[in-house]
Amino acid sequence: MNLHNILNFREGFAMRKIYALGMIMSLVLSTATALCFAADYDYKTMTPDIEKALKNRQARYQQLQRLKQEGVIGENNKGYVTELKNDASATALTADENRDRRVLYEALVEQNKLGSTGLLEVQKAFAEVQKEKAGAGDMIQGSSGDWKKKS
Amino acid sequence: MKPFAELVSFFLIATAITGCTVKAVGDPNRPITINANVVVDIRGLKQTATNIEDMVAQGAVK
Repeated sequence: MNLHNILNFREGFAMRKIYALGMIMSLVLSTATALCFAADYDYKTMTPDIEKALKNRQARYQQLQRLKQEGVIGENNKGYVTELKNDASATALTADENRDRRVLYEALVEQNKLGSTGLLEVQKAFAEVQKEKAGAGDMIQGSSGDWKKKS
Repeated sequence: MKPFAELVSFFLIATAITGCTVKAVGDPNRPITINANVVVDIRGLKQTATNIEDMVAQGAVK
C-alpha cells in the first residue's frame, strides 16, 4: 500500500468510518461495563479484629440509638459519631464506637486494595449511609459541617 | 475491505473488548515507578456500607 492510496479520498472515508465504529464500540462497552458491574467490596477475610469490632458495635447499638434520639450523639460527615452534649456515658461510648468503625473501615481499604485515598472514600460512603439510615430527630452533620435534626 | 483497514478495525475492536495492557521496559538497575490511581466505585462502596450497617443493626443485642 503506497502513500497515494492512503491519502485517497475513498480510502480516507472508509478509515473515518472504521475509527468512528471503533470509538462507538469502546464507548458502548465502557458504559455497559460501568452500568452492569458495580464494584464488589467486601471483607475477603473475616479477621478476629473485624469480628470483634462488629460484635462490639452490635452490643452497643441500642444504647447508641437511644443517645442519638436524645441528641447526645450525632452522626458526623466523616463516618463517625460525635458527642454533642456533655454526657459521661456518651464519651466512652463515642470513643469505643469510633475505634471499632475505624477498624472496619481500614480493613475494607486494606482487603480491597483501595489505595491511599481509600479510607477517605470509605468514610464518605459510610457517612452517607448513616445519614440515610438516621431516624427522624437524629442529629446529622451536613457536608458543610452544620448540624441539624433529621426530619 | 482493504487489508490495512481490516487490520485497523481488528485492532480497535480487540482493544475495545480486552482493554489495554501497558508494558514497561527499562533498566533493571533503575526501577520504574508507576503511580497508579485507584478508581473507587462509590456506588459499590455505599452498597457495602449499607450491608455492613444492616448486619450491625440486625445483630444488635436487645
